[in-house]
Formats: sequence, structure tokens, C-alpha cells
Amino acid sequence: MVEEWRFLDTGLHDAFYNMALDEAIMTARSKNLIPNTIRFFRWRPSAVSIGYFQSMKDEVDIAACNERGIDYVRRITGGGTVYHDEEGELTYSITVAENHRLASKDFQKTYQVLCSGLVQGLNLLGIPAKFKQVNDIIVDGEKISGNAQTRKRGVILQHGTILRRVNPPLMFTLLKVPSEKIRGKLIKTVNERVTSIERYLGREVSFEELKKALRNGFEKAFKIRLIEGQLIDFENSLTSELIVKKYSSKSWNFRR
Amino acid sequence: MGRALLKVKGGKLVKVKLTQKENKIQKIRITGDFFLHPEEAIDELEQALVGKPLKEENLLQTVRNLLHEKNVTLLGVAPKDFVRCVLMACSENG
Repeated sequence: MVEEWRFLDTGLHDAFYNMALDEAIMTARSKNLIPNTIRFFRWRPSAVSIGYFQSMKDEVDIAACNERGIDYVRRITGGGTVYHDEEGELTYSITVAENHRLASKDFQKTYQVLCSGLVQGLNLLGIPAKFKQVNDIIVDGEKISGNAQTRKRGVILQHGTILRRVNPPLMFTLLKVPSEKIRGKLIKTVNERVTSIERYLGREVSFEELKKALRNGFEKAFKIRLIEGQLIDFENSLTSELIVKKYSSKSWNFRR
Repeated sequence: MGRALLKVKGGKLVKVKLTQKENKIQKIRITGDFFLHPEEAIDELEQALVGKPLKEENLLQTVRNLLHEKNVTLLGVAPKDFVRCVLMACSENG
């Protein structure tokens, strides 16, 4: 029998909910309350997330975000600054027990295996995507997906983004840059080094089409069946608690 | 205060901010887009560096010992990169 995982599409939420829910799912998994889970989600309002080790003040132009109603949040995973555009990006998370056949003690290897679901999904869309260490997925040398992983109490959480559309000039109005001159250079660099599904395919790709391909990619690559599921009460109440106590708090977001 | 930024070739970015006193680290903050597991060990790493003389061998030993003791895994950055960035930040200090 094919191994079954829970599948969630939680739709549009703000940054604090999105990050709190990933942690709540991880905790629920560590208590064996839920099966391994793949979640798709998006961001409303658009938001900037920073890695665990980054400085909010150094990375994010807080005033520019406030002006545009864009959220900013610190992740529990390392890695870099990400602009999550409401229309431009699909985000996923994988929550899986550390002793699962897909996981290994080797972080780099586990990134590659868990990213293989995305790679297969993108291949199904006609995009010859490949994994690139440390934590990226690229097509023709350009980045199309960034990913980040953490482990706690026997559970791996990997979340990441798949770019549907890119808008480097907007992204760089939200990030701190050393000078205006450098802002232009950075936009140019990102334009050259980052692509998106729509840019690569040269056509519109709906979120529905993208999600369907990725879902199939995960099932094929992981040899699992994804079963539509629901959040349990434990996850919902822990999420509410984490939003207040952690993800919307200044002490968490500005701790570095 | 001294600051430095180091882009690891084929890896991640490390940033160090520090103050020094009598050639020892007084305060230090390490940030960047690297991966370090478990994440909480970054506080202990910074703590371990406080009071240490700004000498390459001492710093490298301190970083290595802490990573070993806490069973820390690094990705996109190596102990020597942290140390290089610390030394760059202190030479910025004047």
C-alpha cells in the first residue's frame, strides 16, 4: 500500500499566522498527533521574512514596509531574506519525522531529497529545474526556488518558495541597501540570477495549475499519496498562541 | 564598534559586529543567511567568544570546541569563516 501523507492548502494568511502554523504543525508531528504533512500557502498581505540568524534592522526597510502595508517576520529556519508577494509566490512546507526513509542525518542530502518533489513538479510543468546546493532550485542557472530547513524533537520542517512571478524593483524597495547606486546594481543582479515560472514558460500559469503539478511531483518523488486533510484543534490553538507570544512580537522579530 | 561582512565562496554570508577591549572580544553579534543547527546554539557561540583574545588560533579553537560540544551542524559556512569575519571586524575597529 502506498504511504499516505496529509495535504493542506491553507490559502492566504498573514505572515504571523503562516509562520506560527508551520511551527504548530511541527510540534503536533513531534507529539505524533498528525501524519507527515505537506502544506501549500500564500501571503496576504505580501510580506518579508528573514532567516533565524539575520538582523531585522539590517535587512529590512521597516518604514518602507509599513508604508506599503507589508508584514515582516523572523523565521525559525536559517537562510536569507525573502519577499513573499501575494500574487508572485507559492510557499510550501514539508513536516516529516526525522526517522523517515526520506530523511538523513546529512542536512545537505535531506535538502536534495525533499527538494526532489519540487524539481519533479516543475519538470511536469515543462521546466527543466535542478537542485543546486546549498538550498536552491535553479533552471538554466537561474534561481526559481529557495528552501530552508530546521529540526526539532525528531521532526524536520522544510519550507520554501516557488516563484511564479518576480518583481526585483519592488523587492529592493523593501530591503535595506547600502546606497541608491547599489540598489540599481542589486536589481540588475537579481534580474539576471532569478527567474520565475511565468518568465521561463512565457505564459500565465495559475496557482491551481502550479499546485496541481507540485502535488503530483511530491507524490511521485516521495512515493506517497497526498490525502486532503484538516488542521486539528491542537494545531489551531497552538497557532493562535504562537502568533501572539512569538511571531507578531517585537522581541522575536527584532531579537537580532 | 567594528563590523565586517564575508561572503563564503559557494556558500553563505556572515556578518559580525563587535566591540573589543584590551585585544579581547567584549561584545559580539554574528548574523547572516547561513544555517546552523540547532539554531539556538548561536547564542552560546557568541557567549563563548566573549572575553577571548583576538587571535586566530584561540578563536578557531573556541568555535570548534563549542560546535563539537553542542553537536552543531553548519551549512554554507565553516568555523574558519566565522573567525575570519571576526578578525576583519576587529581590524575595522582602529
